[in-house]
Amino acid sequence: MSAPVPLTTDPGRVASATPPAPGRSRRLSDRGLAVAFTSPALLLLLAMSVFPLLWALYLSFTDYSATRGGAAHFVGFGNYTAILTSAQVHQRALTTLIYVVGAVTLQTVLGFAIAYLISRRTHGRGLLTTLFLVPMMLSPVVVGLFWRFMLDAQFGVINSMLGSLGLGQVEWLTRQRTALVSLIVVDTWQWTPFIMLIALAGLTAVPKYLYEAASIDRASEWFRFRTITLPLVWPLLLIAVLFRAIEAFRLFDLVYILTSGGPGVSTETLSFHVYKVAFLGFNTGTASAYGILMVLVVIVLTQLYLRYLNKLKEG
Amino acid sequence: MAVSVDEAVSAGPARGRPPAARRPGGRGRSVLEVALLTVLAVVMLFPVLWMIETSIKENRDVYAIPAEFFGFTVTMDHFKDVFVAPDGGRSALSVAFLNSVLVAGASTVLATVLGVPAAWAYSRFALKAKKDQLFFILSTRFMPPVVVVIPIFLMYRQVGLIDSKLGLILIYAAYNVPFTIWMMKGFVDEVPAEYEDAAMLDGYTRLQAFRKFTLPLLVPGIAATAVFALIFSWNEFVFAIFLTSSDSVRTAPPAIAGLIGGTTVDWGLVAAASVVFALPVLVFAYLVRRHLVAGVTLGAVRR
Amino acid sequence: MLLVATTLTACGGGGDDGTKASAPKAPATIPELTKDPLTLSFIWFDWPPAHALEDFANAEYKKERPNATIKVNTVPNANWHDAMFTQFAARKTDFDIAILDSQHIGEAVTNGNILDLTDFVKNNIDVNAYNPYLLAAYGQFPQAETGKRDENASLYGLPLLGDTWTMIYRKDLIGDKPPQTWDEMISVAEKCQADHPGVSGLAFHQANGSDAAAVTYNTVNGVYGGNLWDAKTRKIEGVLNDAAGQEAMDVLVNKMKPLTAKGSGNWFIDEVNAAVAQGKACIAFNWIAASGGLLDPKESTLGTTREQILDKLGFATLPSQKTNLVPLGGMGMHVSAYSPTANQAEALNFMKWFERADIQKKWAAAGGVPSRTDALESPEFLNAGPFNQVYTDSVPRMRDMWNVPEYARLVDIENTNVNAALNGAKKPKDALDDIAKEQQAVLDSSSRKGGGGL
Repeated sequence: MSAPVPLTTDPGRVASATPPAPGRSRRLSDRGLAVAFTSPALLLLLAMSVFPLLWALYLSFTDYSATRGGAAHFVGFGNYTAILTSAQVHQRALTTLIYVVGAVTLQTVLGFAIAYLISRRTHGRGLLTTLFLVPMMLSPVVVGLFWRFMLDAQFGVINSMLGSLGLGQVEWLTRQRTALVSLIVVDTWQWTPFIMLIALAGLTAVPKYLYEAASIDRASEWFRFRTITLPLVWPLLLIAVLFRAIEAFRLFDLVYILTSGGPGVSTETLSFHVYKVAFLGFNTGTASAYGILMVLVVIVLTQLYLRYLNKLKEG
Repeated sequence: MAVSVDEAVSAGPARGRPPAARRPGGRGRSVLEVALLTVLAVVMLFPVLWMIETSIKENRDVYAIPAEFFGFTVTMDHFKDVFVAPDGGRSALSVAFLNSVLVAGASTVLATVLGVPAAWAYSRFALKAKKDQLFFILSTRFMPPVVVVIPIFLMYRQVGLIDSKLGLILIYAAYNVPFTIWMMKGFVDEVPAEYEDAAMLDGYTRLQAFRKFTLPLLVPGIAATAVFALIFSWNEFVFAIFLTSSDSVRTAPPAIAGLIGGTTVDWGLVAAASVVFALPVLVFAYLVRRHLVAGVTLGAVRR
Repeated sequence: MLLVATTLTACGGGGDDGTKASAPKAPATIPELTKDPLTLSFIWFDWPPAHALEDFANAEYKKERPNATIKVNTVPNANWHDAMFTQFAARKTDFDIAILDSQHIGEAVTNGNILDLTDFVKNNIDVNAYNPYLLAAYGQFPQAETGKRDENASLYGLPLLGDTWTMIYRKDLIGDKPPQTWDEMISVAEKCQADHPGVSGLAFHQANGSDAAAVTYNTVNGVYGGNLWDAKTRKIEGVLNDAAGQEAMDVLVNKMKPLTAKGSGNWFIDEVNAAVAQGKACIAFNWIAASGGLLDPKESTLGTTREQILDKLGFATLPSQKTNLVPLGGMGMHVSAYSPTANQAEALNFMKWFERADIQKKWAAAGGVPSRTDALESPEFLNAGPFNQVYTDSVPRMRDMWNVPEYARLVDIENTNVNAALNGAKKPKDALDDIAKEQQAVLDSSSRKGGGGL
């Protein structure tokens, strides 16, 4: 790694006593060092992220199929218009939208509430935080399998408990509405801790003197919350929300395991649909165009994310 | 910047919270808040407890209606089944766990080796279009895996990396490098550049200064970053299921997912495998609890 | 600029597959076999027959070929098609023998992924030892007409494991005599459910993954005299959703579904087995090859010994109605075109060995379902499991789905729509019409290669 860097240009210790000359050569070596240090990482990203994406971009204008062989023919924007005008895609987009909005809203409200409650405790905050964080660390596979087991209408523990309370069985995973709700609930269970963690970081960072000043003024609790706490936590919370929105938009694993898109296709997200196009029909050209469109959405979201980050860092 | 995450997470005494709870009339509210927190904690933790309970139940009790919370026969058979095949040899699951260790470990090392020097360079030097480079690096991390896997599949097919551990290691490293750079840049920023400058006045080259003075200070940060990379690779499912198929390569997440969809579902085994699989992650997460906020936001939020 | 150049080169490389794909031919006689140690690999999904095959082959085939080791790679059922065909697409397989579902043959043959065994079969296999349709179902392409084999068509596989649905019924709840017609079956289930609170009348596959809900509808469709398509004219629209098809959908959704357990709309093999083992179903339908676990007292609440369980559980062929058709399940063995020559030779030798009369009987005794008529009628097979007689009786009644390259998409369309109808997400008639319309569109656009597919 250090090979291309001219390490030995500096004549010796004595020279360091006279700044100008070595400073010059040092700057030169700095650039070499910077290139040597950043390029391996950039090369890996070019090879594993940029190049595949460009390839997908190329394929998205063709009718290429990964299994059926034969040369790829250019079809112009055919794949794109087919996707954008497909009622099937619109349905998945709507499902994804409901899911993203539902899950992220729920997580934000719950996560912030928990963080607020924890931040008001004086004892056991560390233990509480640690316990609340457990779901977030689990693999989506484990989370999906386990909730599927718990939500089973016949043998699941959730319905069993509802039964003990004298309530009827709920078909969690096999009715159109409840299946999407279940998906949102499970995602919320796993990711509420994420919002909580970040909100907590914001809440504990609110300087003490602000509250003290407010309590001298005998300001009401709600007033203090609205004028001191919220404005300070808001930017952080917004970042957490954007981050979750990007992640939720990409959701695949949970659908794959929990409902496999059912009942019918009512919980199929865009990611799940891309998978079917790509690996059931091996319509690689269409799947590539579909993927590129999803990437565009992600890029827009990411830009928003980064813009807020910047604002936060400057502010 | 003065407040670290540690304070949010540490169990230490209260640091500067408003003494709201001590006001008259605050007691009732305080009790209510504690009760609410308790309920929320129970709800959040119940699935985990249920998973642990299921892993030590006999299969007949697993399906019992109404569900049995206490008083079932405890068995460790499921945990044995995770590691030992019915014929006494190594189970496919245990092979998958080993594969996971190898793939997650190697990809983390690779991402760290590539990412840490890059982070240092981005922190210390004025590079051309630095901001754009950094933003570009971060945005690669947000690509939907299900989309990326299509061209990656075609590419791997050309170079023979389908169904190989190396293929998984490379793609996981590519997902972890952006994270490592962003996370580590924050840590490097916190080490004053003056240390290096001073060392260079003593005659060290820039590289030597980095190695001798900055790097040792970065070790805790590197460890935390690596642990997060490890957790990502350990839990990853999408690439694993589409890029691997044989028992000798498959990692644990697809192997665990494969436990359902046979002819009978052994939920006890699923639960035991999940517990075994989740344990290292929880231990690791506990070790890096001071850096959790930075870790989960790709190093973006650090206070 | 550099990137664009590499993109084009790489894609040029991808175009190498461009030569008109067709299955390469296997040699007519088995080439000389290697004396070096060799591992012969299979790919299947994870279920008991896969483990049975590995144990059986390692015990028995090793006697003939001590240097050969058999390895059966298993993948999750939901991932089975994808795992095989992504490897085929990679032109590199970690298996020598693919165990394809009978309907996968078309896709594999059209893409040139498996060897043409026609000449090999002529020279090495006694085709008269089989029910002709059974032989055709696991190897012939283009697809055999129900009940017949086309002597002139090419063969691409040999039977490994036969399978069909069995009706599993609770003798202690509905009596020893199984219902004979579909209508009778429904009314018996209805009565049983009413008489025994907590036990549902029926349990069958309804999930939208794999081929679960699709097979269920196809079975009812067959029994009520419907057709899945007109193979000659490649017509689905108007055929599948004709009056018989509509009646079948009506029976399934409005008469059968109300007799199932609440929330059973995502059930597949294992959930149906669990319901039976937990004593929660009067009558259930499941694949025979997946029913062995029902007799395991460790998993069952029906009894503490196999005999006790068998006192309560009966196994019968499916009831008939307008026809007596039953679904064809099971899988054949197919040689990967990308496997090394030595392994392909070993694979052919294994298949010839496996189809021998004595080995087929041993396979039957080891828990497999053989295909040779002599093995099917042998005591070794009939005494090996309580459901084996059901299989032998069902062989002349079998019907398969479409075996075409577009199978994976056709079955997904049917699965999701039938699943939607069963779970109230779509009206039964709309679901059936949608299936016909969407499937027809897939068949009609099949010339469009990688485009389309939404």
